[in-house]
Amino acid sequence: MMAWLMAGLLFTPLAWAVMSLMAGFRAGWRLAWLGMAVQGLVSVLLWLAIADQGGFYYALGDWPAPLGIELRVDGLAVTFILLTATVATACGLHAGVYLDPDKPWQRYFWPLFWFLWAGLNAVWLGADLFNLYVGLELISLSAVGLVALGGAGDALRASLRYLLAALVGSLFYLLGVALIYGQFGTLSLGGVAQLAEDHTALAGAGIALALMLAGLALKTALFPLHGWLPPAHGIAPSPVSALLSALVLKASFYIAARLWLALGETQGSYGVAQLAGALGAAAVLWGSWMACLQPRLKQVVAYSTVAQVGYLFLLFPLTWQVSDQISQQAQEGMTLQVISHALAKAAMFLAAGNLVLSTGSSKVEDLAGVGRFLPFSLFSFGLAGVSLMSLPPSGGFAAKWLLLQATIGSGQWWWALVLIAGGLLSAAYVFRIYRASFQEASGQDDFHHPPRRLEAIPMALALLSLGLGLAGEPVLAIMGLPFEEDG
Amino acid sequence: MRRWATPSLLAVCFALVCVLGLGLWSIAFDPVGKSLPERVRDAMGSSGVDHPVTAVLLNFRSYDTLLEIGVLVIAAIAGISMARLPSLEDPAFRTHDALLGALQRWFVPLMWLVAGYLVWAGAKQPGGAFQAGAVLAATGVLMRLGGMPMDFLQPGRLLRVGLVLGFAVFLLVAFVTALVGDAFLAYPEGMAKSLILLIEVSLTLSIAMVLLSLFVAAPVTDATGNQEGGHR
Repeated sequence: MMAWLMAGLLFTPLAWAVMSLMAGFRAGWRLAWLGMAVQGLVSVLLWLAIADQGGFYYALGDWPAPLGIELRVDGLAVTFILLTATVATACGLHAGVYLDPDKPWQRYFWPLFWFLWAGLNAVWLGADLFNLYVGLELISLSAVGLVALGGAGDALRASLRYLLAALVGSLFYLLGVALIYGQFGTLSLGGVAQLAEDHTALAGAGIALALMLAGLALKTALFPLHGWLPPAHGIAPSPVSALLSALVLKASFYIAARLWLALGETQGSYGVAQLAGALGAAAVLWGSWMACLQPRLKQVVAYSTVAQVGYLFLLFPLTWQVSDQISQQAQEGMTLQVISHALAKAAMFLAAGNLVLSTGSSKVEDLAGVGRFLPFSLFSFGLAGVSLMSLPPSGGFAAKWLLLQATIGSGQWWWALVLIAGGLLSAAYVFRIYRASFQEASGQDDFHHPPRRLEAIPMALALLSLGLGLAGEPVLAIMGLPFEEDG
Repeated sequence: MRRWATPSLLAVCFALVCVLGLGLWSIAFDPVGKSLPERVRDAMGSSGVDHPVTAVLLNFRSYDTLLEIGVLVIAAIAGISMARLPSLEDPAFRTHDALLGALQRWFVPLMWLVAGYLVWAGAKQPGGAFQAGAVLAATGVLMRLGGMPMDFLQPGRLLRVGLVLGFAVFLLVAFVTALVGDAFLAYPEGMAKSLILLIEVSLTLSIAMVLLSLFVAAPVTDATGNQEGGHR
């Protein structure tokens, strides 16, 4: 059973990438329905199986770890696989209606979409440093391809910037991998962590860890390395922006977090942990502030991503040399933050896409009057905003509550200020959109009504993100499952 | 501001080099853990090939290679998605030089032969799909510059089949081995050699197509905006 599930999980996205490259956009969409159904089913079954039996290592090609590549199938990984299936399916269904099927370049949307999905799954499951690099490359290149699709001047400029940032980030990561391999003679993360435990403060491993974290921070758009993100996420078609903000950024952060949790304790230092936290805090403040100033709707949402990603980096100071209980709290808070932000931000970008489609303008001030014509999309936007502002009962609230407990528990009260300020600032930019859309003054009453399905999808995602706060316990319970160490 | 850009960039690079040097220095004198080459040597017997690099690429770590081929396909897709039809087969780029044509008649078959040999040699000495694919792609570049018509480079079905052929074969092998055997990409006993050869040959073709299409698909564009909501 498990063998079939794993085979299906790895095979489906790649196979659908190949098949939809052969088909056009419309046929690709019909294919995608089937693919998304299969992938969703496999993800759910795998999640249930792991919840039942606990995690395991899956040796590819039947070669065990130091020689071959192993996949780490644990509670966290399957949770993220399920999250990916949810968000990607929503974006896929939205894209099928939203994108113009008659443009000749749209036929390449589906292959890139499926490759992106495959890369995300590869990263969630990766337990091998080089394999993680390959997963990252798969993700970045297909993401860049999706942004560049159509190749208009601005999109091309943004995607080239994105490509260069992603490549530099990957190269720094790869440099670190090479040094780690030189130091420990193995690429498996578990093996490296075991060896690192016996030897504290190896200068070479410390430098390697720093290089990898720097590269991944660039790919995650941590302040002040975020310059590439707003143009790329702002200019891509909305379903693509949603995928990029919700999932792609999380992949590089996920690797950074796994590295830190495996190696940070022995090879990291107080300075690195506090620096990562400080940059994250600066990102929260700066990103939210910039979001308040942007003239274009999607740029507001993109800068909000810069801010929300900042919270994630509080994981570094909150797990470094603290008690197990506090570290656990911080990790749970971070997981909830990743999930709720993924759902909320995808909902927000898709809703923003509907608003842009309806008003025919990308500017915030042109939203005037849309509140009466498109209340449903505006409502989804606001519900997603509730999670970003971290009001109860949203997932964002549960996440920040756990983080707050971890900051107090570890005596690092200064991060609590960031959590509070970030919540207030995000309220400011969400209400700014609302204020603009309820204004009545302009003579604009020429609104285009998007199809119902386009409006239903962001609503479903926003409700999921809102409900996550209530369902946090079962989601987190699967993370702490016993892991069967046999590798 | 500009005046300081170059010196500060140099300083950053210098600092990075110093840090890297320090890292290498400390690693060289304090390596921890057992080295992998020994493990590879021990497992060579059941790998189906005699050259360690090929064994690592197509057997021990074949999953990485599968995904890397995926990355190549993505690059090609992104490349051809940006190219317009005319730029792919622009007659203006063709030269008609009698001498070049005559030379090509000698070179092209020879390079094909070299490519074929490189694939086969991969089993026991340096070589394999990537090298052979590169040679094959170079042949294509030469043919194109020499003005030979290559209709399959039009962004049509044939080009797309060529781009994914190797990847599809590799993926199919992976899936079938997972269903009938133990795990994704676990070759059954005794079939490793022939499966690896099958994968290598189809990969060679696809890698050549990817490289060639990236060379041919020179990006355009003064395209009309596809930005949502225009510039209002």
